[in-house]
Amino acid sequence: MANPRTTANTRARKPKPPPVDRDLAVRMFEVMALTRAVEDRMVTMYKQGELLGSLYTGHWHEAIAVGTAAALRPTDVLAPLHRDLGVHLWRGMEPWQVMASFMGRATSPTGGRDGTLHYGRLDLNIINPVSHIPNNYPVATGAAFALRYRGTDGVAMAYCGDGSTGRGDFHEALNIAAVQRLPCVFIVENNQYSYSTPLTLTTASADFASKAVAYGIPGEKVDGIDVFAVHDAAVNAIARARAGDGPSLIEAVTMRMHGHAEHDPADYVPRELIDLWAKRDPVEETGARLVELGFLDSGGVTAVRAQARKTALEHRNKVLGMPMPEPDHEEDRVYAN
Amino acid sequence: MPTETAAPTVSYLEAIADALRSEMDADPDVFLIGEDVGQFGGAFKVTKGFLDRFGPGRVVDTPIAESGFTGLACGAALMGLRPVVEFQFADFISCAFDQIINNCSRHYYRTGNPIPVTFRAPFGARLRAGPTHSQSIEAYFAHVPGLKIVAPATPQDAAGLLISAIRDNNPVLYLESKYLYRRIQAPAPLSLDPVPIGSAKVVREGTRVSLLTYSVGVHQGLEAAEKLAEEGISVEVVDLRTLVPLDVATIAASVNKTSRAVVLHEDARRFGYGAEIAATVQDECFWRLDGPVVRIAGKNTPIPTSPALEDAAVPQLPEIISTLRRVATT
Repeated sequence: MANPRTTANTRARKPKPPPVDRDLAVRMFEVMALTRAVEDRMVTMYKQGELLGSLYTGHWHEAIAVGTAAALRPTDVLAPLHRDLGVHLWRGMEPWQVMASFMGRATSPTGGRDGTLHYGRLDLNIINPVSHIPNNYPVATGAAFALRYRGTDGVAMAYCGDGSTGRGDFHEALNIAAVQRLPCVFIVENNQYSYSTPLTLTTASADFASKAVAYGIPGEKVDGIDVFAVHDAAVNAIARARAGDGPSLIEAVTMRMHGHAEHDPADYVPRELIDLWAKRDPVEETGARLVELGFLDSGGVTAVRAQARKTALEHRNKVLGMPMPEPDHEEDRVYAN
Repeated sequence: MPTETAAPTVSYLEAIADALRSEMDADPDVFLIGEDVGQFGGAFKVTKGFLDRFGPGRVVDTPIAESGFTGLACGAALMGLRPVVEFQFADFISCAFDQIINNCSRHYYRTGNPIPVTFRAPFGARLRAGPTHSQSIEAYFAHVPGLKIVAPATPQDAAGLLISAIRDNNPVLYLESKYLYRRIQAPAPLSLDPVPIGSAKVVREGTRVSLLTYSVGVHQGLEAAEKLAEEGISVEVVDLRTLVPLDVATIAASVNKTSRAVVLHEDARRFGYGAEIAATVQDECFWRLDGPVVRIAGKNTPIPTSPALEDAAVPQLPEIISTLRRVATT
């Protein structure tokens, strides 16, 4: 039997021409570049001891987060994963707010009550995740239910990883959404590792898109490095949901290029697998595609990357001066009025 | 044809249905979701006729998926709807433990975004339903910040507390006694005014000992107090009605008057809700107490099925009477 670690299919299907116009393509690239720059900056901040606890990053998940979020309307609801900083930045979260969350500052979206990647903002129609992935799969079905209940054609999109498909909430959410024909799109970010556990120990059917068959809904596998392929799949699934035809499942294949979090050297991942995927940097590839398509020249691509790094550093400098919460507020806000 | 018509009454179960129907009539954002709630009208028939009245968009039959539909309700509530989730038996709420604790109950604290959801859970023993259909679940959930818990004992409170639960902007666990469903009646018509959450009620005034209880225990306590009155022992019965947040003032006022306190509940004694009440009484009333706070509670066992075994597992009237007598007279 072939070892999936070494035979990983890094390009799940051939890239299509971009189905988007220049403005959207450039915008997606800008947010992907910013995502990478903010996370790289936070890795430095982590190493310099500026963050609390650990740092969870989404290197090589940028195309999935941005490609899916860019296919939605601002009124649609997202329930992203901790690898999906690009979702938040696409919707308008400020990088300093993300940094403030990792630092427990009073200015973080939760006021320091929660931390790390738990920075979803409902005013941006993003549901704040908890650590118990895929808890927000069922919650997203509720957002979809409410959007339909109110008579809108809104859509909810939920994200989980390959590992969390093992939990019952994955099954229960897909089953309920399918039987209720809810306007929901489910994304599985297959990054091949669930903390230290490889796909071979996660599931006997690692073709996650095919699991959709069991729920009577469409499933599509896409190259999670190709932002245009991701976007295209999302557009189709969203259109289906909006038309009242029910949910879909999209498996986006990528690789988790850092540890589970930055404390984790991930030496359980075979070096050759990292080397294989290192050749497929989604931010680099998107920049190259834009040049190829004549949307940007190479100087333009370089400028976007440089501006993103500058922005990330500015936000880091800004957040350092922000206050910590006052302890006498600890018991506030347990109950709503 | 009967020559005489009995005065019309409303059962505890009908009170729940009336309150739910009234809130769904009044507020289009209220919807009902759970197993068998629609075409079957619910396992206990609380929602009989609801599907015809409100349609499948607001009376939602689900697959067997407690975690899934609880999460769905939380997401819908986050978007501003007011879901009422029916757990077919309170026992099945354990399948949704993660959603209730990790997502629902702490979401407001984390984000400032409220989740107004009501969890209806038919709970308790005495129906020979065995270890997985008879459980009391309040102790598990009373520990969880962000969640409110109510446990009505009468049709009037069943209606009024359900209305308050639905209108509350927090998750509320509504513990309905399936033993009381058809056993307790109140004169019709019921008031459909809300009963405030967090408010206990002295349901029988007395002077020698305070019995602090809720749900089925209230009816046992009233019966015990009636018997003991014949012996000249005056028992005050306090129906807690809400477990979280606890009405400490009403409890303290009663115990500071009688100087003796007995706690009664059907749930198992060890780490049961009564331990919290006893500790609260000692915080608030220690220097006025004439003796230790005594607990009457279920055994630290699963609830068995066979009548003789089940009756031995949960508090019965003779034990309640003898305990109150002993505490009141020593």
